[in-house]
Amino acid sequence: MIRLWSALAFLVVVSLLSCQSDEELQRQRYITEGILLYKNNCANCHQTNGEGLASLYPPLAGSDYLADKNSVICLIRYGQQGPIVVNGKRYNRPMPAQAKLSDLEIAELTTYLYNKWGRETTVTGVKAVTPVLNQCKNRL
Amino acid sequence: MLKPSLIPVLNRLASFWTKSKAYLFLFGLLFNLTGCGADTDKLPVLGQREAITKLVNGKPVTDSIDHTIPDFAFISQYGDTVTSKTLANKIYVADFFFTSCPTICPKMKVQLKRVYEKYKGNQGVMLLSHSIDPAHDSVAVLKEFADNLGIKGRQWLFVTGDRDKIYDIGQNSYMVTAQADATAPGGVVHSGAFILVDKARHVRGIYDGTTEQGVDKLMADIDRLLSESKS
Repeated sequence: MIRLWSALAFLVVVSLLSCQSDEELQRQRYITEGILLYKNNCANCHQTNGEGLASLYPPLAGSDYLADKNSVICLIRYGQQGPIVVNGKRYNRPMPAQAKLSDLEIAELTTYLYNKWGRETTVTGVKAVTPVLNQCKNRL
Repeated sequence: MLKPSLIPVLNRLASFWTKSKAYLFLFGLLFNLTGCGADTDKLPVLGQREAITKLVNGKPVTDSIDHTIPDFAFISQYGDTVTSKTLANKIYVADFFFTSCPTICPKMKVQLKRVYEKYKGNQGVMLLSHSIDPAHDSVAVLKEFADNLGIKGRQWLFVTGDRDKIYDIGQNSYMVTAQADATAPGGVVHSGAFILVDKARHVRGIYDGTTEQGVDKLMADIDRLLSESKS
């Protein structure tokens, strides 16, 4: 009898888990990694809450710069030199290139940024990120 | 050999001992509390005492004094010279950073800005941030950095100068790490410490400037130092 109940419980758990689509599972995996990457590579300047720091470092939260996702992806890897305008305000501090981040890590970071501050609920997958990175590599 | 009849006595003694431990503890607590009078309330003076030799009645006499920040001269974000006289009779917080630092400096500046906001307008408190990348951090670069951070006036000075002199005062006087290292991001290694210096130029505390807890402690100690120098 007990065995029957536990088998039933197991089935219920399995069916519940499979209710989450593969896509949702992938999104959550990306975001979990993205949070960590953000904390280790971005939060020193842009702050944990994404508000940036005074006129030194621009915000990511509520930033109009997020509209251009390709250039966000590129500047994560290759950095940024010279002035940049965010929400109409001018910032002029170099952002170091993050050459050590892999394509996948940049995809995870981008997914986190856009789910957190870009009103997206989808994954920016590594398959979408790699061609963008190749393109801006050629442009440099 | 103990006689068996002694054992109950020993037991009673033992139970008295465990009970009286509580009294001992209370006594110790009271003693500690009363001990926290004028003396132990003061922050310690950090660093090794130094030997000095002076002439007394024409004879050289060697004495020892507390570790003291020596005279210095650096250039501020306004282009003027900052010396120990600029900070005379002030409590100040010193730190080491550089404007293009990608690692811990932004965190430190967020935290030091909290200190700035809290003591803004207090004539007795100053902040002194030394650039350890003076080749890049010119007066103009420091001025732009301070402006962008939202710092006005002369309460928080950002200084640049001779690189070796800055490293030397950092390592030997403020007792923190500051040196060139090609393998570090930005080419310089430095500690994230904030150093609290009193009116007599003695180091009274060293704090982790990258965390909120470290800087909460710093501000509590600034308050203590301010009331100490009042009395």
